[in-house]
Amino acid sequence: MELTLFAPAAVLYGVAAALAFVYLFSRDERWSLWALRLLAAGVAFHLASFGLRMADFWAIPENRWFLPVNSFYGALSFLALSVAAVALAVERGHRLGILGAFVLPWAALAAGGALWRAASLGSTEVAGLVPALRSYWMNIHPAVLMVAYAAFSNAAGVGVALLIQDGQIKSRRPTGLCYRLPAIAVLDDLCHRINAAGFLLLTVGIIMGGIWAYGAWGRFWGWDPKETWSLITAVVYAAYLHLRYVKGWRGRRAVYMSLAGFACVCFTFIGVNFLSGLHGYLSGR
Amino acid sequence: MSASSGLELLGVSHHAAPVEVRERLAALGPELVLESLAAAGWREAVVLSTCNRFEAYGVKPSPPGARALAQVLDDLAGAPLAAHGYGRLGAEAARHLFEVAAGLDSLVVGEAEILGQVRDCYHRAARTGRTGKVLNVLFQRAMFVGKKVRSETGLGTGRLSVASVAVELAERVFGSLAESQVLVLGAGEMAELTATHLTSARIARLWVANRTYERGLALARRFCGMAVRWEEFPGLLGSVDVVIASTGSDRAVVTRDMVADAAGRRNGRPLFLIDIAMPRDISDEVNELEQVYLYALDDLKAIVAENVARRQGEIARARAIVDGKADEFGRWLESLAAGREIGLKHAPGQGGGRAGRKA
Repeated sequence: MELTLFAPAAVLYGVAAALAFVYLFSRDERWSLWALRLLAAGVAFHLASFGLRMADFWAIPENRWFLPVNSFYGALSFLALSVAAVALAVERGHRLGILGAFVLPWAALAAGGALWRAASLGSTEVAGLVPALRSYWMNIHPAVLMVAYAAFSNAAGVGVALLIQDGQIKSRRPTGLCYRLPAIAVLDDLCHRINAAGFLLLTVGIIMGGIWAYGAWGRFWGWDPKETWSLITAVVYAAYLHLRYVKGWRGRRAVYMSLAGFACVCFTFIGVNFLSGLHGYLSGR
Repeated sequence: MSASSGLELLGVSHHAAPVEVRERLAALGPELVLESLAAAGWREAVVLSTCNRFEAYGVKPSPPGARALAQVLDDLAGAPLAAHGYGRLGAEAARHLFEVAAGLDSLVVGEAEILGQVRDCYHRAARTGRTGKVLNVLFQRAMFVGKKVRSETGLGTGRLSVASVAVELAERVFGSLAESQVLVLGAGEMAELTATHLTSARIARLWVANRTYERGLALARRFCGMAVRWEEFPGLLGSVDVVIASTGSDRAVVTRDMVADAAGRRNGRPLFLIDIAMPRDISDEVNELEQVYLYALDDLKAIVAENVARRQGEIARARAIVDGKADEFGRWLESLAAGREIGLKHAPGQGGGRAGRKA
């Protein structure tokens, strides 16, 4: 039942991304309007499926009141939801019309990954939490970090749009795309503001993790691969913010730095699963 | 066909009427024309008067006896309009108004100003109670069609002059130019023309540097700007956002080194350079610098040519929308005359989801 609601959400994200992409090259405003509507519908389906997941998850007594994000499926699904929700919020606030083309592929990819995981396991990974995870931190630490990841993926999408716009104007033969995309200054501003918010959440999330780890495992920091890579990610984004504010890095150069940070995010979220026992969604703990 | 609805149009436009005729009609003022029409029995009327067209839309009063629309206007103009103008009835009058509102009938096809003029002329008539059901629906539909064409086709996109393309590109870099500073090099005619376009886009400050300081000062004064001595302009490259070069120099006055040096003081802010001089004033290599964008006159001309071609291609799509809406309006007029009025939807058959507006 959960998957019958989740699958349409994943499809809607994909179709919304495709429509937003078509809009880039079309002169008809209706494409972006429909992309936004389908995105909103996707988020609605996703929320409903997540509600059902909560119900299933909480049916196991020791899981009561905890977020079902301890498994790879649960984490990917929550990540896709965060990315889509952040994209919806930014798009409604800024009316760029094009953000979906660069951001929603990430949501579709995460949701598709979750579907693939559920299909290959034949389940949505609802199981009892191990004692170490039965803490109120379970509801805060992963959620804060997921929203940070969602912010970073949105900023990466905005950054890619900036690279395209820069190429358009540099070429001296701008196509219709140039007039579709927001101004370079607007994209630059949006990119760094989303990244700054993401950095703040990432830092808070890591510190929360440390406090939780102290309570659960008796140490604040243990150089577990997930911990190490999240620290690397934070350092890259701190460098990005520093170079932007202090050294005046703008435009293309700043975007490359932000994309490097996003590559670290992707590795922290996916790659580390194959290295880490403590934080691995795949390790089965 | 729908002549029974009583909707009539009589007009002259830039297509056929000599400028003196249009001027004479424009000089009358829409208020006077509306009053004369009312006195002649045309209680429902709207007058659209711009520098390129003069059109009167009216609904024939039901007890016949009013003077013909043409007679009233001929008297006002002091000359027979039929020789230069056009008359339309019923749905064909609506078709014409929809074309006008869409910008299809404009001198510069797709221009946006006409839509506002249609709105204003309708409001002027409606305010004084000179519009009834048919004209209210007709003009509200016309504004709807005008907006629809602009949002669903590329008819109104792409600027058609070198100066306005330059301004539009600068806006693609900076967003709004409201906080931008502009430096004009040279004080010639082209410099002035581009400055006119930029200042109409609202900028923060205009600087003028010219080899002869006094001429630069004169240009700066006309645009409420500041003049600087020629030797001082390289220093300004560190703070301005847009540079327009149009001096008569026979070699580059802005070099790569000059811009690269200024970049150090710009704290990463972009610099947009427009070179409209022949021979060129700005070394082409500056475009290789990060956050620096250089457009020469030929680049801008090529973009204008593309935009003109693109607009032509969008005309057919715009006309299809206009025709569909005019036919629909014609059916509505007939249903009204037959006493069983049908509803007009704002987005029929396209699942737009917006509620139909019942007239």
